[in-house]
Amino acid sequence: MSLDAIPIHVINAPPIEAGLTGNAPPLLRELAEQVKRLLATGEASAIDLSALPLTPADLDWLREKLGAGEISVTLQANGESTLNETACPGVWWVTHHNERGAVTSQLIEVALVPELVKAHPQDVQIGYEYLELVLSDL
Amino acid sequence: MQGPLIDTLARQGITRRTFLKYCTTLASMMALPPAAGLAMAEAMAAARRPSVIWLPFQECTGCTESITRSHSPTLEGMIFDMISLDYQETLMAAAGHQAEEALQAAMKENAGKYLLIVDGSIPLDMDGAYSCIGGRSNVEILKEAAAGAAAIVAMGSCAAFGGIPKANPNPTGAVSVSDIIKDKPIVNIPGCPPIPVVMTGVLAHYLTFGSLPELDDKGRPKAFFGETIHDRCYRRPFYDQGKFAKTFDDEGARMGWCLFELGCKGPVTYNACATVKWNGGTSWPVESGHGCLGCSEPDFWDAGGFYKALSVPADPLEFGAAAAVVGAGAGVAVSFANRAKKRAAKAAHQTTTLADLEK
Repeated sequence: MSLDAIPIHVINAPPIEAGLTGNAPPLLRELAEQVKRLLATGEASAIDLSALPLTPADLDWLREKLGAGEISVTLQANGESTLNETACPGVWWVTHHNERGAVTSQLIEVALVPELVKAHPQDVQIGYEYLELVLSDL
Repeated sequence: MQGPLIDTLARQGITRRTFLKYCTTLASMMALPPAAGLAMAEAMAAARRPSVIWLPFQECTGCTESITRSHSPTLEGMIFDMISLDYQETLMAAAGHQAEEALQAAMKENAGKYLLIVDGSIPLDMDGAYSCIGGRSNVEILKEAAAGAAAIVAMGSCAAFGGIPKANPNPTGAVSVSDIIKDKPIVNIPGCPPIPVVMTGVLAHYLTFGSLPELDDKGRPKAFFGETIHDRCYRRPFYDQGKFAKTFDDEGARMGWCLFELGCKGPVTYNACATVKWNGGTSWPVESGHGCLGCSEPDFWDAGGFYKALSVPADPLEFGAAAAVVGAGAGVAVSFANRAKKRAAKAAHQTTTLADLEK
């Protein structure tokens, strides 16, 4: 359930800048380092946003700076997960939701393709066996 | 049901990606590097289910409620699929002598290998007669069950530190698990109630690495209790800037400023509420505008009023910026006033009244 379901009207809402803590800008530098590392060694990395002291305003700021890219992946696995490429290719904004739509974790992944999107060889094997079964019935 | 875990999960329709996603979230909550999720998923997928015995003693069942009604039901439920919960009075269908027989059978079958979870404190006065199950005292049952356990998890502040039953004047002579058992590894997961994912995190660690996680000096897993609420609080920057709410309905409270002066125990409380949050990640005490009570620290119930500011600003060395000094100044002023009040209260053996809580 999202909080929108509760009819609360905020009176004299504080300005949005009041929510900015200044903790978001350094993350962009860290991201730049991680992208450099991805280019140099191919090593994937991530920043766990839920473990950092960021206000909703900070997150909005970060999201706005990173922008939106070409690919957005939606995964339906025990709730929806979205893996959206940002305007910087190789930088993915990943949000995991649970079955009721609440955010369980949020990260920025730096990778050519996020691990979660790849198919696991064992699962591919199961898929192959299924194909064989379909073929044998033809 | 034996065999690798991933097969058990697959039979329940849980896909590998669901599991990997779960492990990513768990790794995030355990403050492991994000890449650890993948390693955990691989190790746990291959793990076998350990036997778990859960003993409830002098408790309110809040800890069980916290675990069973936590988060998305499948998230913590999943970890319960990873264990064989052989005895849990509140959850099991059996009752009376049948239940006690199940306990005996589980202890015998898995001697030396099972994980023992305890919630609630153990009363020692009057030979432990204050809390008995099936005619036997808690302390007797604990000693017997601990003897065959591989490790013990003390779930909640009561089992970990004595909690509310131990609060002054401790009428039942309540003590913690570690006060009685000295020869087994014990993990304390304090909190009133404890954060469910800490429990699952400890289980996941046990399944992944075959050992217990690293503990702090109070026996708590460092991954969750390594930092104070204050250090991970999203309102921390306001503390550093010296911006404090003075009452629960003033300008500062509306702006979401620091609750230090309203008695927040965040600076001296080690727990993961600030990052893990509660109710499926909806919010947590400070986010809903109330200071931390310090429920995961020993004797939190007797630590002075919940609405009295802490006596000492945490980490005075960290104050560098001019703005921060203003905040520290204000904090010290409040704390001096409170220290005097606390001394007076102590001298008069004054109990906490509603008026104290209202400050």
